[in-house]
Amino acid sequence: MGLVLASSLSERLLPGLGTVHSWTLPSQAQVVALPLSDAPLVCLDLWCRAGSVFEQADESGMAHFLEHMVFKGSERQQAGAFDLRIEALGGSSNAATGFDDVHYHVLVPPAAAGEACELLLDLVLAPRLNQQDLEMERQVVLEELAQSQDQPDEMALQTLLQLGCGTHPYGHPILGERDQLEAHDAADMRRFQQRLYRAEHCVLALSGPLPSAMLQALLDRLAESPLGRLPTAGHLSTGPGLQLMPGEHRQPFARLEAARLLMAWSLPGAEQREAVAALDLATSLLAEGRRSRLVERLREQLQLVESIDLDLQVLECGSLALLEAVCEPDDLPQVRREIDAVLLGLIDTPPPAAEFERSRRLICNGYRFGLEAAAGIAAVIGNGALWQRPLALHEPLEIMLQLQPEVVQPSFALLAPQRACVLEALPS
Amino acid sequence: MSPDCWTTSTLPGGLLLAQRQRSAPGLVAARLWIAGGSSLDPSGQRGAHQLLAGLMTRGCGQLDAEALADLVESRGAALRAEANEDSLVISLKCASDDAAALLPLLVQMAGAATLAPEQIAIERQLNLQTLQRQREDPFQLCHEALRTLLYGTGPYGHDPLGVADELQPLERTQLAPLQARLGQDGAVLVLAGSLAADCGDALEAAQAHQPWRAAAPGSPLLAQHGGGNGRLVLLEQDTEQVVLMLGVSTTALGDPDNLPLRLLQVHLGLGMSSRLFVEMREARGLAYDVGVHMPARRGPTPFIWHLSTSAERAGEATTALLDEWQRLLLQPLSDAEWELAQAKYLGQEAFGRQTCGQLADRQALLLGFGLPSDFVERCLARTVDLDAAALQAVAQRWLLQPRLSLCGPAEGLAAAERAWNRHRLGAGPQD
Repeated sequence: MGLVLASSLSERLLPGLGTVHSWTLPSQAQVVALPLSDAPLVCLDLWCRAGSVFEQADESGMAHFLEHMVFKGSERQQAGAFDLRIEALGGSSNAATGFDDVHYHVLVPPAAAGEACELLLDLVLAPRLNQQDLEMERQVVLEELAQSQDQPDEMALQTLLQLGCGTHPYGHPILGERDQLEAHDAADMRRFQQRLYRAEHCVLALSGPLPSAMLQALLDRLAESPLGRLPTAGHLSTGPGLQLMPGEHRQPFARLEAARLLMAWSLPGAEQREAVAALDLATSLLAEGRRSRLVERLREQLQLVESIDLDLQVLECGSLALLEAVCEPDDLPQVRREIDAVLLGLIDTPPPAAEFERSRRLICNGYRFGLEAAAGIAAVIGNGALWQRPLALHEPLEIMLQLQPEVVQPSFALLAPQRACVLEALPS
Repeated sequence: MSPDCWTTSTLPGGLLLAQRQRSAPGLVAARLWIAGGSSLDPSGQRGAHQLLAGLMTRGCGQLDAEALADLVESRGAALRAEANEDSLVISLKCASDDAAALLPLLVQMAGAATLAPEQIAIERQLNLQTLQRQREDPFQLCHEALRTLLYGTGPYGHDPLGVADELQPLERTQLAPLQARLGQDGAVLVLAGSLAADCGDALEAAQAHQPWRAAAPGSPLLAQHGGGNGRLVLLEQDTEQVVLMLGVSTTALGDPDNLPLRLLQVHLGLGMSSRLFVEMREARGLAYDVGVHMPARRGPTPFIWHLSTSAERAGEATTALLDEWQRLLLQPLSDAEWELAQAKYLGQEAFGRQTCGQLADRQALLLGFGLPSDFVERCLARTVDLDAAALQAVAQRWLLQPRLSLCGPAEGLAAAERAWNRHRLGAGPQD
C-alpha cells in the first residue's frame, strides 16, 4: 500500500518519470538507473568521491589533472582511442571535477550503450598514467589555468573563496597551483588514484532508452567489469567541515571593467536536506527573477547594478551562498548598504505568502526542467546515490512543497550580512 | 526523427503555429521567432533590435513591467527575449498547466510591447553595462575584431548588443517604427512538450480578439557583402595567453555548399577526436580550448577557428593553425577521416532533440529560414552523395583567404605576427 502511495505521488509530481532502480555490485560499488523510453540517447555517468577536497598538502590540482589523464588511455585503450570509438558510434563524452566529486559521462545511441559502458569503466578505473603523456597533458592543464586567469571575474571569485575558506580545500582552486602542477609525476597521480577510486566511492548512473532486457544484459556484465572488481577502501571518505571566516576585503584586479561586490556565506551541508531546501527557497526569493527582493530593489528600482546573482552551492562539507553584484566602483558603498537593508529586512519581517509561493514554483519548475534529458537525470541520481541520499526523484519536490514559512525563516538569519565574507573587487 | 511529428496551422492575423507533442515531465517550451534581428538594425542605430527585444518583457498590452514579471514568475515560468543576427526570439518554458494562460502573452509582447520611456532607460543602461563588461573577456575582444574584419559595417558586422555610442541615444522614437515592422518579414510560433488542447484554443482566441499581423516565414537569403579592410588585426592586452581566431565568411544555411562546410567543421572541431583537438591539444599541448565556430545563419555564415595559448607559444600556434588550414585546401580528407565525420554528423542529430527547448529551437530556425520541414533528413541523406573530394572543392571555394585576429600581450602578438608574415596563407610569399 505504501508503495502504491509513493508511486502515485511521484506520478503526480513528476508525470511520466518512472522509478529509480538500484543495485550493489559484489565490490560494493553501486549502480542506479532510470529508464527514459522517449529519449534519443543513453547517458552513462560514473561518479566518484574524488574531488579536490580529498587532495593532500602536496597534491594541489591532482583531482582535476587526473580527470584529464584518464582520457590518455588504459592498458587496453591507446590515448585518444576511447574518444574516437565513442564519437564514431555517434556519441560524445566529457568529465567534470568539483570540490567534492568528479564524474565522467558518455552519451551514446542506445545500440552502443553496452560497448560504451565497458570502455568507460576500463578507461576511468584502469588508467595507464604514463609519465610521457603526463608531461604533455601538464601543458594543457597549465593552458587551462592561464585561460581562467585571464578572466578577471573568475580571479575575483577565486580570491573571495580563498579569503573566506582559508585553509579549507574549498578555498583552493580546483585547477591547482602552478608550482605544484609543475611538480606532480605519474607515481604521485597513481597514489592519488588508488587511494580514492575505490568501490564504495563509485556510483554508475544510467538513464535513457533502456529496455529491461538491455538493462539486465548491462548489469550482468557489470559484476565482472572493473567496477565490479574494484577494491574497497573499508571506509567512506568525507572532507573536513567548512567554517567560513566573515570579513571585509577590498582589492584591485587587472583588466576588470566594472566593479564587483562579492559575498560568501557558510551554510549547512548537503546532507541537511530540509535546511538546504529552505535556503534554496530563501535565495530564490532574494535573487531569482525580476520580482525577487534584490533584483527588484538594486537593478529595477535604484538601477545601481547591471546584475545581481545569489547562487546556492550545495556542498558536502558545508554549502556556500555566493552573491555577485556588478556595478560602478563609485556605487559600491550604496550597493552594500542596500543589500544589507534587504537582507536585514527579511530577518525582521517574514515575507508575505505570495512571495513564498512564487519562489516555490520557480524552484519546483526549475527542478522539473532539469530532468528532461537523460544526462540531467543521470547526474541527479548518480550524485544522489554517491552521497547516500534517498533515490526517489520526487523527494526534493515533496520536501519543497511541504516547507513551512517558519522552517524557512531561520535561513534569512544565516544570510545575515555580518556572517558574510565580503570582497570589493575594483578595476585597477 | 520524422518531420511529421509537427502539426502546423495558421492563427488569425497570419502567424504560423507549429506544435509537437512530446512526453516531458509536464512542461512546455515555446519560441516566438520573428525574422530580422540585429542584421536589420538601421544605420547609426546598432543595438536597436536587442534593446527592443529586452523591452518585450518589460510591459505589453494592459500589463506594466511589474505586472508582467509577476504573472510570469508567480507561475514559476522562465521568459526571455533576445535578438540574434537573423531574428528576434521570445522564449518561454513553463508547466503544462500554465501554458494556456501564458502563451498568448508572447504574441502580445511582439505586437503590443509598451516601450515605456523609463523601461527603455533601464534596459538601455543594462545593455551598455554589459557591453562594457564584455571587454573583460579576451575571447570577446578577439571575436569582435575578427567580426569587423569579416563583415565591416555590414548587417553581420556588429554584436547584437550594439555599439555604445549608437545605443546611448536610442529612444522610443527610434524603437517604435522597428516594432511596427516586426512580423512583416515572417514569424513563427513553435510549441513542444506536453501540450494540452487548450493551448491552441487560447492562442486562437487571443489572436481573433486582437490579431498581431505576421507574414508567413521564409525570408530571402541575406546577400553576401564585402568585409572590412585587411586580413590581420592585433589587439594588445595584458593577459597571460594570446587568443587566436582565424576565419572567413561563407555561405547561408540553405545553400548547397553549407552542408560540406558543416561536415568540415565536424571533422575539424567537433569532439575530442576532431582534427584540431588532436593536433593542437593532444599532440602539441598548445591549448586547452580549441574549436570551430559555425553558427546557423540565413546569410554569409562565419567559419572561425579559435584557440588560446601562452604568449611564448603564440608563434608556434599561429604556424600550426595556418598549416592545418593549408592542409584542408591541399589535401582531401582520408577515408577514415571522412567516415568519422559522417558518423559524428549523423550522431549530432540525436543530440539536438533531447529537450523540448532544443526541438523548438531547431524547428523555429528551419521554418523561420523558409527551409523545408524535412531539411535535417535531407541533409543526412545528402551526406551519402558527398565525398572527400567534394569537401575539398568546397574548401577551395570558400576558405581561400582566412583572416586572423589576435589578442594578448605584446611579445606574443609580435611572434604571432612574424609567423603570419612568413606563412604563404598569411602575408608570406605566394607560389
